[in-house]
Amino acid sequence: MSNFKRASQPPPGRSSILSTLQATTMLDTKPVLPAEILVSILDYLPVSDQISFAKTSRRMKEMVYDDTRWISRLRSMGCWDEAEARRRFEEAIKRKREAAERSNAAAAGNTPLAAKRTTLFDAGQEEERRKKLAEEAARAPEIRVDGFETLSLHASTRNSQEDPSTILDIYKNVRSIRGYARQEYGKVYGALAPFYYDLAQAKSHTEPAVFKAFRDPEKQAQMLRNLQRFFQNDWAQGWNERGEVLTNMCNIFENAVLREFEQGYESWDVDGRMRRYAHVLHDLNGGNAAMDVFLSKHPVLNNREALGNPMDCINQAPEDGITLEPSRAFFKAMAIKINEQSAVITQIFPDAETVFWSLLDKVREDIIGEYITTILDESHDRNLEAYLKGASGLFEQCMAFVGSLDPPSKSKESLEKHAKDFGLKTFDPHLDLYFREELDFFAKYAEREVLNWEQKLSEQDATVESFYMGSFNRRADKNDFLSSFKKVVMMPVTVLPTIPISSPFGSGKSTQAVAANGATSRPDSISGTPGASRTTTPGVGGSLEPKTGPLPSEAPTDELKAKAALMANRLEGIKSLFSIEVALDMVHNAKEGLGRVAVFIRLGGQAGEEAREQCEAIFITLLKVLGQNHVKNGFIKAVDHLSNYKAREVSDHDQAGVAPLVTFIELVNVGDLISQMIDVFYEQQLAAPKISDRNDFLDPAGLAKKKWEQMLDESVAAGLNKGIDVLMDEVEYICATTQLPTDYNPPPASQEKGTQQDNDIGPTQTAKRVKELVASHTNMLVGSTEKTMLDVFNGEVGLRLFTAICKHLKRQRISTEGAIKLIADTTLYFEYIRGLKNQDLLAYFKALRELSQIYLIDAKHAKEMATIIADGDRFGGIFRAEEVYEYAERRADWYQVKRNVERAMYGMDCAIM
Amino acid sequence: MAATDATMIRLQSNDNHTIDVEKAVAERSLLIKNMLEDLGDAAVSETIPIPNVTESVLRKVIEWCEHHRGDPPATNEDESDTRKRTTEIEEWDQKFMQVDQEMLFEIILASNYLDIKPLLDVGCKTVANMIKGKSPEEIRKTFNITNDFTPEEEEQIRRENEWAEDR
Repeated sequence: MSNFKRASQPPPGRSSILSTLQATTMLDTKPVLPAEILVSILDYLPVSDQISFAKTSRRMKEMVYDDTRWISRLRSMGCWDEAEARRRFEEAIKRKREAAERSNAAAAGNTPLAAKRTTLFDAGQEEERRKKLAEEAARAPEIRVDGFETLSLHASTRNSQEDPSTILDIYKNVRSIRGYARQEYGKVYGALAPFYYDLAQAKSHTEPAVFKAFRDPEKQAQMLRNLQRFFQNDWAQGWNERGEVLTNMCNIFENAVLREFEQGYESWDVDGRMRRYAHVLHDLNGGNAAMDVFLSKHPVLNNREALGNPMDCINQAPEDGITLEPSRAFFKAMAIKINEQSAVITQIFPDAETVFWSLLDKVREDIIGEYITTILDESHDRNLEAYLKGASGLFEQCMAFVGSLDPPSKSKESLEKHAKDFGLKTFDPHLDLYFREELDFFAKYAEREVLNWEQKLSEQDATVESFYMGSFNRRADKNDFLSSFKKVVMMPVTVLPTIPISSPFGSGKSTQAVAANGATSRPDSISGTPGASRTTTPGVGGSLEPKTGPLPSEAPTDELKAKAALMANRLEGIKSLFSIEVALDMVHNAKEGLGRVAVFIRLGGQAGEEAREQCEAIFITLLKVLGQNHVKNGFIKAVDHLSNYKAREVSDHDQAGVAPLVTFIELVNVGDLISQMIDVFYEQQLAAPKISDRNDFLDPAGLAKKKWEQMLDESVAAGLNKGIDVLMDEVEYICATTQLPTDYNPPPASQEKGTQQDNDIGPTQTAKRVKELVASHTNMLVGSTEKTMLDVFNGEVGLRLFTAICKHLKRQRISTEGAIKLIADTTLYFEYIRGLKNQDLLAYFKALRELSQIYLIDAKHAKEMATIIADGDRFGGIFRAEEVYEYAERRADWYQVKRNVERAMYGMDCAIM
Repeated sequence: MAATDATMIRLQSNDNHTIDVEKAVAERSLLIKNMLEDLGDAAVSETIPIPNVTESVLRKVIEWCEHHRGDPPATNEDESDTRKRTTEIEEWDQKFMQVDQEMLFEIILASNYLDIKPLLDVGCKTVANMIKGKSPEEIRKTFNITNDFTPEEEEQIRRENEWAEDR
């Protein structure tokens, strides 16, 4: 703060005391402003006055020269880069240190000199740099007192008319150096302020020096832009009037340029006027005005009729259908046009990309959106399926359309981003409706199918007395089916890992194909040509689906379709309680719907997520309808049938199977097949394209699938339980009806030696049949149910079989000769059980085999017989002595040996007593 | 000012004049406001000395405070270097500031002491407008600054700042 007291010191000399006093009092009344207030006053001063202020005294100069004041001005114009400043500063520090080290090393001699230079480091060094950069190197500073003045000299001399081009680029040359902000600002100010204040005072647009100094519009635009930027740091009084004038000038200028641009546009002078003035406008303020004009009058937007009529898609298609060929042509024509424009835009506009995407946006709004809306609305009114296909197909085409565009900048990433954006915006109004309809459509379809099928079934029930009987006669077919079926079942295990993920819906084209021939590619021809197509190999028969050409060739790549073909082959004989046919049909439908929706997933964001959820919803609906309504009902019915079965009431027992059980086991197999199908479907359609996360245990699709599997297992378990009952009924029935009394108690051999084949020591007919019956049923399940469940089933069957045989045995009378037959029978059972590989079960049948030997013992050896009967170890703890004794009672000659045996068993005890 | 519910406080200038002011008006001064807050009710009954300000200036300041009593509280200090400072002064303030330079400086000093930021700003702006377009010599006179430059230094400064010479 300049101290006025110093000024008020009485001038040295001989003036009167009075005058001194006068002066003092006068000055004393004059208050003095402290420094911080002066600083804030400075802030309100225009630049030129600040400099005047600096000239008043050293204190003032220091205050005005303060770097932060100028940095803030530079910053307000957006040309101060703090990071750059810091970097320079650090570099400078480093240099300083190095220099200091050097000078230390140099030591003694000229230390003071070196030190001096280092303190002035950046002044000197920056100066050097600057000099190189400056065009007028000749004007090197003559006087260099402290490194400040040269810069301002530069700026001032370069000022105005001398070199207009440097003024244009003035902002580019501003550097951020701490301690030099004022100099840098000085350059800018020197260059622009004259124009700025001149313009602010101008009355009309012809006056300002800017327009006189710069003749061509490019430079004028740049200057105006610079001035607008300069305006940002003008906060002295009257700034808003100046700003208004400046804005007005800019508007006038812009309008003039825009007019030129429009004229160029009308005459389509792409390389000439349009290009030139687009650049001018870009220099002025980013060129939005030019872009707007360009877009609003663009010819592409005007002759939309030429590109195609949306109704073609509906009118050209067969009844209630939709054909996407015209729309494809439409998009193709559109892409060609847009790409043409892309080239033109690149020529005209400096920031072609923005313009291009804006143009596309406009095209989307005005043409494509309308086109698509028309098609979708119309088809929605006419036919739902056509609508669904149309929506998905159009979306696919839309994305392909954007993909085929050739934007000015070749960044793939931005293209993708724009494509997504484009798709989203185009289909935004349709998505909700589409998703809803898709799900509804599928759910309705599935329910209708199941209902239809059930209706058919009940009709059939009424007409055919019993379809069990009907299917009974087709045992051969069924076995045939079952054998090939097993192969199918095994197939997914081996084939699954190699399935190409993209097979059915992976690429856009195939969706189109499906949309086009979807109606025919569904295996609705399943019921055709049953006999002819029944080939023995599980391969896809060529004659399978005569209507659809492309399918067989495609089939091997797609697990589901191969299966479908195969099953269609085999299935027509089986009219079961639920049908693979229906399931297949539904799965196919679900797949189609899913494929259509899945296309939308790549939109990403919320819409993509919705699409994904929609896919899962379709899958869940599929499982629900298929599981609850179809399969479960079937199982319930089957179990009903099983429990109603009475072995003794059925007349025909020639077959190797118990009809309801066979049916049931077939059902299990079919159910398992459907389950496999669902699994493959899940893997292929949901898990592989990442629609559903296999590892996410909360995922609704995964949950639904688990529930479905659980339901199937439960149904099977319930059914098998009943099935075993039925099977045992049958076993007992066979035993009771076919076992001849003579089997185990043949009449004395001597009498009928001629006819009786004594050397036939094989098992009896009954045992063979029983074994066959049980074995055929247990085998049926192999490969179709879980191993653990199969074990349980087998164990149960074995145990019950054992009980049945024991019971049966107790009703027989067995002679020593017949014992051989019995042993053969028990051995047969034993062998069979051994095949089941169940150790616990085997013990029972081993004991049974041992037991049968007691009948072989001759009556004379009663004592030994008694030993055997009492020998618990022999029967592995399965039979107690009392039980064995009971069996022994079944000997034909029991009453002859009874006494001896009893004596042998209990007599000992008596003797001891 | 005669409002019955308005609490009055008493200020005392350095030349021992007392002035009664409505509390709400006096609180335009952050200094007084903070003081009142610190002292609580006790302050109301006491006379608050304002030792640096004479009666005439104090009255002038209070006049300003009364006119601006309804102003919204000063917005949080913006980043002072990026803030767009405007030198426009509203009409009433312009008239208010039509005083001699001595008084003007006194008002600025008083508002600085009493911590009345808006008034200080108005004062600074007025001063800024006052010295706009003046030569260094005139500025020196206005602020009573001694020229302590040597002729060489003066020449150097002139050269350094040629860029800012008036158009």
